[in-house]
Amino acid sequence: MRVTNFIVALALFSLSSGVLLGTWDLPYWADFAPGSAFAPFWVATVGIILALALFVATLADEGGEPHNFPDRRGIVRVIALMAGLWLMVLLIPLVGFISASTLFCLLLLLGIERRPLVPSLFATAVVMTLVYGVFIAWLGIALPTGPFGI
Amino acid sequence: MDALASLAHGFSVAMTPTNLLFVLIGVTLGQLIGALPGIGPSAGMALLLPVTFGLEPVTALVMLSGIMYGGMYGGTLTSVLVNVPGEAASVMTAVDGNQLARQGRAGQALAAAAIGSFLAGIGAVTALAFLTPILSAFALGFSAPEYFLLALLGITATASLGTGSAVKAMIGATLGLMIALVGTDPIQGTSRLTFGSLELLEGIDFLPVAIGVFGIAEILVSMEQTQASRAVRTRLRDMWLTGKDWAECRMAMLRGGLVGFVIGLMPGAGPTVAALLAYIVEKKVSPHPEKFGHGALDGVAAAESANNSAAHGAMVPMLALGIPGSASTAVLLAALVLLGIRPGPMLLTEQADLVWGLIASMFVGNVILLVMNLPLAPLFASVLRIPYSYLAPGILVVSLVGAYAISLSLFNVGLTLFFGMVGYLMIRADIPRAPLVLAVVLAPLMESSLRQSLMLSEGSPAIFVERPLSAVLALLVVGSLALPLFNFLLARRAARRAGVEEALSHSSD
Repeated sequence: MRVTNFIVALALFSLSSGVLLGTWDLPYWADFAPGSAFAPFWVATVGIILALALFVATLADEGGEPHNFPDRRGIVRVIALMAGLWLMVLLIPLVGFISASTLFCLLLLLGIERRPLVPSLFATAVVMTLVYGVFIAWLGIALPTGPFGI
Repeated sequence: MDALASLAHGFSVAMTPTNLLFVLIGVTLGQLIGALPGIGPSAGMALLLPVTFGLEPVTALVMLSGIMYGGMYGGTLTSVLVNVPGEAASVMTAVDGNQLARQGRAGQALAAAAIGSFLAGIGAVTALAFLTPILSAFALGFSAPEYFLLALLGITATASLGTGSAVKAMIGATLGLMIALVGTDPIQGTSRLTFGSLELLEGIDFLPVAIGVFGIAEILVSMEQTQASRAVRTRLRDMWLTGKDWAECRMAMLRGGLVGFVIGLMPGAGPTVAALLAYIVEKKVSPHPEKFGHGALDGVAAAESANNSAAHGAMVPMLALGIPGSASTAVLLAALVLLGIRPGPMLLTEQADLVWGLIASMFVGNVILLVMNLPLAPLFASVLRIPYSYLAPGILVVSLVGAYAISLSLFNVGLTLFFGMVGYLMIRADIPRAPLVLAVVLAPLMESSLRQSLMLSEGSPAIFVERPLSAVLALLVVGSLALPLFNFLLARRAARRAGVEEALSHSSD
């Protein structure tokens, strides 16, 4: 957990510095009222203080709490799922929301979870019917469509 | 008497066929969401919020709140039958509930939890009905400094009253404040931290953050390993408490309900802390503390009564002040804003139908949940036999459709995935996610009231301690920040003393 904490402290420090730098040109005080950079300045300051507090507390902690990350197989499954989701988002403008979602469901069930074909097809059909019924037919939300009009 | 008359009017709103149907839908979804490990009520509410866009505000809110307290009941099933908490607030139920199930007493554990949740729920809604108007009338005297301090207290209390590291909880809240800074400055109209992106000019919506940080992140965690849990079976005829069981549980239910309601009122504490505290209190007063951890029915009853009572108690500050006390009420508050309703002390007078209809619907919802969790519990338990891998694609697709539906933009879908990754990393780094979501919701109120206060005082921070009420709130904020430090020092002193005693015992050996 020590390494994780150091990374969190470093990430928070960088993010807070980014907020400070990103709002550097904005006024901290404008005439008689706090300006646009007022809140970002204080949020970033608190962020930097917390990053330093976590860094110092982790340095002082000799407990050696084990890290909280999954094994290699778990990480591969999580990365595969995330890649599948981003791929789905990229495919939506090309093939439509429903088609991209169908492909994603099949990829997840057959490719990542290694589930049998027929139950996977059935589960995908149920999900798509639900999405179509609730969001398109009932709520009338215009989901992006592909070349086949779905 | 006013409250009783208003409540009677609330029943006339809640008992319309449409609202009754959506109470039923809400509590059923809540029961299922609570029962499914890997997705909690806050995530479920965030995912299903877009479904309510076509509904009347009161109908939408009765459904969403049904998911919130339905989740408290549903979490028991998985805790008792599978030994995996369906949602965080059921973690203490899993300790004794599953031990009871292994001893062949799953039915009694589920019955004690259902009856305890019901009685505590009804008690808490009754208290909510009487307390909300009083607090709301009191809050009419609040001005900008009080609002700033109240919102700040909502965030700092999350850190000091939470179960994990206070520094990490504050880090979660700071990340939420940073997210809320993105967009156009609400007072001066200049763009902040948008880095030239037109999509970011309007800021980051609450829903992509909530859906990502709660929904997607939880699915990612559950994907780390193949879900292969086996549920202990239970039968309808076992779902009953004997006279001895009832005698063992009734005071635990009362104590759990009281502890839960008080904890629920506090900003930042929520049902998980309530269940934990009620369990500890019950162990202290129980005539058989040695049974705790090995199958104590009163432990199950106390924890479950407390979490349901806390879920209802958290509605008091949300309805009376517009300040959410937990992640679930933060989603409810966001729903109010999305439905075009301004939260705050005026809500009770401006939207009396909505508030009283919502409160009355909770009485109805708790009755439906009692039926679902006593005679129908074995039916819901059968849902646990569906492999989780068949449910995950549906939850993910509905999450992304919901994110798209907010503004019909794929940018929001991408943001949802981004926040899903952020939420996953937060879970793995042990950073609580509720403070982040609370901070995103509270940040606009915090910033505008802070700047208005300083404008009124011409820059003097003394405005935050000039009025007695703001001075009390400022003291509470300082106290909530000092509490973790105090706990840390106490723990260090205890560790040092234990070290000295150990050294002394070694030297005497």
